[in-house]
Order: sequence, then C-alpha cells, then structure tokens
Amino acid sequence: MHISDGVLPISITVGSYAASAALAAWSVRRTRSEELPKVAVVTAAFFVASLIHVPFGPTSVHLLIPGLAGALLGPSAFLAIGLGLLLQSILFQFGGLTALGANALMMGVPALACGVFFQKLKGRSRRRQSLVGGLAGALGTALAALILALLLASGGEDFFGVAKIALAAHIPVILIEGAVSAFTVAFLVRVKPELLAPAFVQGRPRQPELNAPPPEPPDSPAHG
Amino acid sequence: MTGCGKGLFWGKKLLVAAALLAGMIGMPGPARAESPEAQPPPDPAALLAEQNAALSRDLRRIHRELAALRADMSRPGLQEVFAGIGYIMGLFGAAAFAASRRRDKPPPGSADNDPNAPDRGQGRT
Repeated sequence: MHISDGVLPISITVGSYAASAALAAWSVRRTRSEELPKVAVVTAAFFVASLIHVPFGPTSVHLLIPGLAGALLGPSAFLAIGLGLLLQSILFQFGGLTALGANALMMGVPALACGVFFQKLKGRSRRRQSLVGGLAGALGTALAALILALLLASGGEDFFGVAKIALAAHIPVILIEGAVSAFTVAFLVRVKPELLAPAFVQGRPRQPELNAPPPEPPDSPAHG
Repeated sequence: MTGCGKGLFWGKKLLVAAALLAGMIGMPGPARAESPEAQPPPDPAALLAEQNAALSRDLRRIHRELAALRADMSRPGLQEVFAGIGYIMGLFGAAAFAASRRRDKPPPGSADNDPNAPDRGQGRT
C-alpha cells in the first residue's frame, strides 16, 4: 500500500508534505532521548516488515505494521514511520519521493490513532493487552486503507469505490496484522512490559504492571 | 557344366559386391538427388509462416524471462535491506549521541540552574 509518483494532484502532495512535516516535528519533540534505541528498533522493524510477503491465495500480501508501531512508540511512531518510508522509497523504490508526504500521512496517522487506542484500552491483564494490541494492529491497517481511499478520492476517484476496493484487498493483511500484533504484544507483556507504556502525557511516571510481576530476575533494572 | 556353374558363382559374388558397394556409397547420392523431386517444392509463404511462428514463440519466451528478470531486479535485495537498517541505526545513534552531549554539557546560560554541576557554581563564588 504505497502511493506512487504522479497519482495525487499537486495541491494534495504539497499539503500532505506540510502536514506530515508538522506531525514529524511534533513527533521529534515528543521523543525522549532515553527512548531513542526503542524507536530505532521499531523503525528498523517497520522498514523490514514490508519485505515479508505472506502468500495468500493467488497473490501475496506484505505486512505493514503501523498499528504495532503506534502501540509500541506512541507519539514517536510518526517519526519512525516517516523515516522508514523515506528509506523504503529511496532504497526499495516503494512509493515515490514526491508522494512521501502522503504516504507518511497514510501510515503515520493510523499509527498515532492506534497508539492512543492501545493506551486507552489496554487495561492491566495480559490477555486484554494482547487482545487490544491485535485490535490496534488490525485497526491500523484498516485506517491506512481508508486514508488511502481518501487521498485517492482527492485525485478524482470515487471515494466509496476506492475505499471498498482498498479494504477488500487488505482484508487478509488486516487479519494477519492483527494476529502478528496480538502475538507480539502478548510476548512483550510477558518479557518486557515497560516497552508497552509510551508516554502520551509527558512526564507521566511509567508504572510497571501491578498484577503481572515481570518474570525477570529481581536484580535486573526495571527500565531497560 | 561345372565351369559354367563356377562362372555363375563368381558372377553372383560380383553382383553382391557391387550391390553392397552401391549400398554403401551410391545410395545417399541418389536419395539426396531424388528428394526434391519426390516432394512438391514447399510453399514459401507457408515456410515463412512456420519460421515466424517459431521465432515469435522464442521471442515471447525471452520477453517472459526479461519481465521476470526485471521484477527480480526491482525487488530489494539483501544489500538494500542492510543498508536501510544501517541508516536507521546510524541516524538514531547520532541523535542519541547529540542528545547525550546536550544533557552532559548544558549551554552556559543554563549552567546556574543545572543541579548536576555543583562544582562550577562553587568555583565561581
């Protein structure tokens, strides 16, 4: 799901560049320096995830993990996704450089929405966290497909037609992504629960899980 | 009678040898010479059409291979993947380095407010 060069009208291209630059600047300001390694790892995962092709029937789909990135990074997700998309378009020729702003909006806004969604609803229990993580993963891809339809509609396409096609084409991705996100979140809840607490409110103390004691040995530091 | 029989025998042997010789040497010659006369000369249009079909079959195969090659080349290889991961790690490493330097060495204006630099304040007073 990448928009290519020359599909969108110029005004939308410039506007989406401006919007994604503003969002990226906000995202950089909200990224704390202690979290840079985590952001780097999630960025690398996002960058590589689009190469994992899952054969599905006659075609094959590839992962796009905006929901998972949002759930893990919170506000920094937009930075991660923007950088990942920039490198993808330079190195892999996925999408075009002129459509980078639109692509960043298409993947980054769902990531932020999924971050908020995950933080609001994740609750405390492990099962609920992995369930909400899976939902966030599925929601991220579905939202990305909707934004794709919205952007293409600005180029003169019929919004509902494109939305229907984009959603139908991504139903397998949505399902696979939900499963992958649920699995990843369940794994992280067990081995490193503090990874799942990105601070949307700056300065909020990060609470370790109360009823789910971390299985690490007690001499390891609480915050990695 | 016997002389005549012997002559016949020798004559037969000679005939057989001649036939064998003809079979070994002479046969291809007449066969080659006969074949254009046995079949009617082929229609040049049909020949051309046959050659065209064969050529276009080959060309189609080559086009297919070319398209497959192009698709293979446009797919990112291991080199690009590791280049991208290296870029990401390097950029974030540089950012973390800058952030840590900023935290360790605050600008001179904010040195008085920094609780982590008590000796500097003592040295001035």
